[in-house]
Amino acid sequence: MYLPLKLPQNPEQRPGYMPVLLPMKSHAAPVGVGTMVQSFLSTKMGLFVLAAFLISLGAASYAQAASGAQLGTIALLWKWTPLLAKGFGFNVLISILSMAIGTVLGVCLGILQVSPNGIIRRVAWLVTQFFRNSPWLVLLFYCILLIPFEIEVFGTTIPFPGWLKAVIGLSLPVMAYMSEYMRGAIQSLPSGQWESADSLGFSRGQTMRMVILPQTVKRLLPPWMNLYAVLTMATPLVSIVGVDEIMSFARAALASENRVDLLIPMYLYVLCWFFIYCFPISGLTRRLENRFAVKS
Amino acid sequence: MKKFLAMTTAAIVALSGAASADKLADIKEAGKLVVGVKQDYAPWGYLDSDGNLVGLEIDLAKDAAARLGVEVELVPVVASNRMEFLQQGQIDLIIATMGDNDKRRKVVGMIEPNYYAGGANVIAPAGTLNEWADLDGQKVCAVQGAYYNKPAAQGYNAEIAAFAGVPEATAALQNGACVAFLYDNTWIESQLSSNPQWDGYEMPMETENPSVWAIAVPLEDLDAPFGETMREIVADWHKSGFLIARNMANGIANSPFLVEQHNAQQ
Repeated sequence: MYLPLKLPQNPEQRPGYMPVLLPMKSHAAPVGVGTMVQSFLSTKMGLFVLAAFLISLGAASYAQAASGAQLGTIALLWKWTPLLAKGFGFNVLISILSMAIGTVLGVCLGILQVSPNGIIRRVAWLVTQFFRNSPWLVLLFYCILLIPFEIEVFGTTIPFPGWLKAVIGLSLPVMAYMSEYMRGAIQSLPSGQWESADSLGFSRGQTMRMVILPQTVKRLLPPWMNLYAVLTMATPLVSIVGVDEIMSFARAALASENRVDLLIPMYLYVLCWFFIYCFPISGLTRRLENRFAVKS
Repeated sequence: MKKFLAMTTAAIVALSGAASADKLADIKEAGKLVVGVKQDYAPWGYLDSDGNLVGLEIDLAKDAAARLGVEVELVPVVASNRMEFLQQGQIDLIIATMGDNDKRRKVVGMIEPNYYAGGANVIAPAGTLNEWADLDGQKVCAVQGAYYNKPAAQGYNAEIAAFAGVPEATAALQNGACVAFLYDNTWIESQLSSNPQWDGYEMPMETENPSVWAIAVPLEDLDAPFGETMREIVADWHKSGFLIARNMANGIANSPFLVEQHNAQQ
């Protein structure tokens, strides 16, 4: 019989080799992140919120100018902007590092949650549930107070600054959420995927690596990005444990200026920083969700 | 919870063997003195818009390091973590508006003579309040964790609304959410004399619950060379008039305590 297939050179050496038709690659045009950010920043919603912010700021500074000769609110916010920007950079750094650590650990933990070994499965489940159901702030307090500020390894002292402890503290809940997402994504795949891989002679590890995990990626991507946005918005928590980020700088600025009328504009300004950073992410997530949605 | 944390912290400190025989020698060898200071308590310790720590207590920290012949490293602390940082060895010294009391003396080494003193008073719109008894049943804004909140609530039956920080509490006062703001008299005096947003406000009461502030070293260093040296330095700050001069240079209202200490040291 004639097979219309172009086989690789040494097909027999490939594990689980069988002369089957490989699935077609999708050729949808990749979406550039830059263009998506732009398109979402320019959406009506984003513009509306920004406009509302600017109007309230303008009104506040107008009232200021009318009432006295002190420096206007906008001028004061501008004066503190470099410091706030530095603080926000730290928020972003903390969120990226926590997300990276949490994702790696969470994916591993999620795979362990569907392990055929009952003990491993239960332990992974317990770890996941413990960190998923603990308040983030309490986890942060534990990490800050229980981890020593420097660790001695083979005679050299490695400093362990507060922000690094905060990264660890925040990566624990991320790990737990990722673990649950991972388990859900694996279990949501039709069992036919396992069965057909089995019938093709794939071992369990091969099935996981070559069949299951690649298919979970698109299911994981939207909740993963949502989680990142939530994590970023949670980073001001670390100001309570003494890490210098945007909130602690905002508080320091308020204390230094001792201006009662600065309170609301300052917090609004901080909010604005987070909004501009997180809104494109949520927009992108929405678009990915639409793209990956299962048509019924 | 608090007790458990304190115990575990103590255990970790014991394990890591942070306690050294001679802290002073360690500091000189490291070439730096690490001081925990406030960054949200103008004008004692606060940030300028370039992100530098400035204020009276920062001046003190720098002078202490200069007298020891080492560099200064400033670490921002808050009331809830400063003593833990000192116990862990993360900082060598606390100069962070810390009141001196018996409970804290069991945890950290308080240096005498005390370097500053404050007490409780209120800031209120002029003419509305005359004495502490006027607070009976009234809503009073305050800052969480201040030691005089409890006496005001129990002694004068004031209804305390405690906020996270001074900016929030003062905003509440100006919005009319409470009749007065209960806080340190030193802060109120320096605000009334320098900040135009308090025109039409006054400090009507006699200052109550006076409390002295102390610089703190780790408890085990209190009677070691480090504690001795710090005692000499603080005494000289009073004797030489350095504290009075820095107090004035930072725009803080004249402090009777500093004058009294200065005269006593002569």
